[in-house]
Amino acid sequence: MDTDRRRLLRWLGKGSVFAAFVAQIGAAARAFFPNVLYEPPTTFKLKQPAFYPQGYTFDAEHRLFVIRAEARFHVISAVCTHLGCTVQWRGTEFDCPCHGSRFDANGNVISGPAPRPLPWFEISIAPDGLLEVDSASAVPEGSSLTVATEKT
Amino acid sequence: MAGGIQRLWRKLAWPWSPASDREASEAIVRNLWLHWFPAKVSGRSLSWSYSLWLGTAAASLFVILTVTGVMLMFFYVPSTERAYGSIKDLEYAVSFGRLLRNQHRWAAEGMVALAFMHMARVFFTGAYRGSRALNWLVGVALLLGTLMLSFTGYLLPWDQLAYWAITVGTNIASQAPLVGPTARYILLGGHFVGQQTLLRFYVLHVFFLPAVVWILVAYHMWRVRKDGGLAAIEPLRALRRAEPREMPRTKSYSLFGLTPGTSVAVASSMGLEESDQVASSPNLTRRMMLVFLTVFNLTLLLSLFINAPLEGPANPSVTPNPAKAPWYFVWLQELVSWTTVHLGSITISGGLLGGILVPGILLAALILWPFLDRSTDAEGVWFAPERKRQNAVFVVITAVIIILIVVGAWLRGPYWHLYWPWSPRPVLPRVL
Repeated sequence: MDTDRRRLLRWLGKGSVFAAFVAQIGAAARAFFPNVLYEPPTTFKLKQPAFYPQGYTFDAEHRLFVIRAEARFHVISAVCTHLGCTVQWRGTEFDCPCHGSRFDANGNVISGPAPRPLPWFEISIAPDGLLEVDSASAVPEGSSLTVATEKT
Repeated sequence: MAGGIQRLWRKLAWPWSPASDREASEAIVRNLWLHWFPAKVSGRSLSWSYSLWLGTAAASLFVILTVTGVMLMFFYVPSTERAYGSIKDLEYAVSFGRLLRNQHRWAAEGMVALAFMHMARVFFTGAYRGSRALNWLVGVALLLGTLMLSFTGYLLPWDQLAYWAITVGTNIASQAPLVGPTARYILLGGHFVGQQTLLRFYVLHVFFLPAVVWILVAYHMWRVRKDGGLAAIEPLRALRRAEPREMPRTKSYSLFGLTPGTSVAVASSMGLEESDQVASSPNLTRRMMLVFLTVFNLTLLLSLFINAPLEGPANPSVTPNPAKAPWYFVWLQELVSWTTVHLGSITISGGLLGGILVPGILLAALILWPFLDRSTDAEGVWFAPERKRQNAVFVVITAVIIILIVVGAWLRGPYWHLYWPWSPRPVLPRVL
């Protein structure tokens, strides 16, 4: 009886020290998951609609294409859905320089390793008249924003 | 005074060129640098033609990498704003800075190549079985460590290669089932490649990975000794075992009846005869130094004539066309570019199949091979006929990887299209 109690106490003592040791390792590992990110917001403003010519315009800062047809606008991501390289517009299609994925003018995969089409992002007009993109929300292919009266 | 200095000097230096066998053995015990060598080593283990000294050459490169790496740390700033500039400074403003960086670069590529060639040697000589299986596993870990050191290393200049390699590499990691996105988040320290990523890879590259690799290198070499030396001695061992002889009994053992049988002094633990072995100092140490100096001078020579590549500064919006991984990863790049498969409505991305599953299967094969290997003899012999099938498997896999490297490195042009090396490639506008 007495020895059993001693063993239990000894086990509890050693165990608690060991548990504290393991917990500290866990705490150290937790530090590697950042709590604060200094990253650009997923919703951002582009330029005024009038800035964009007809056709495809590459926005290097946000890695996307602004596509204008008359007064209608839509935005397609320039980030390849395969492994994240920036695709290039080649007049009729988007091509990826890293692994050769090809997408048609609407971002659908023609060939290559890309598993999904290039996403279309939600686009709107901010109160100050600039185009605004929400890169966190994809919209179906074919969606577009029509800008009725352009400010210049 | 003079005698004291002489004694001190002898303590440090005399064992390097011992005058007698006894001095040679004592040297191993008395000298700090020599104590991790065995006192005696078999002549076969020292043979140039058996091991080609590839492991020693790889370890020599790691010594060069550690020294040049620590020197580069004095000039390199791990910040996204200054990293590229500090590499430019090394090239143009620091005396011999370019030489230092070149040597670090060529030693690194050499270490990848030599670690693999060393593994191939061990495989072709069947030197990974029995008690040596553990050391084979350590070797596999060392090969992985070498590759991880290379990967974390070429991120640091923060040039275009660095930026896009890390983008693609971590996107491959994010394809892993369940843990993928989390793994990418921890590796990058966020959702995008940025300052946190650079700092993380820097610490991994300059401290964490080298520390792990050094510990494993030390264990790897210690195990060679514990396994009785290189597998080259196994045929000789078998020969010695096959010729039983009456061992002389020493007086004390037989008179005092301490133990029956032969005395411990007679049978060497290696199972070899006295005449099969030579003193480690200076026979082993001299060759190690020779290998080190040869490897050092080769990297120096390369560094004098060929500069380490450096692309333009990292540009997160424009990917170089084509963006190519270094040669030792370009076979994976080639794989992921055509391993996306569509099964009905399910699509498995090349990142998962070619980037994780195929390398994972190769790694699993390397780990399990010693335990799947049923052959019992033909140890320590190059290309033993009994191992024809096993060697064929190794050769075929290696050949496929080499072909993929050749295709990726020389036949891929802009937009990853195939071109013959001599055919003209389209000239494209650099930036849209």
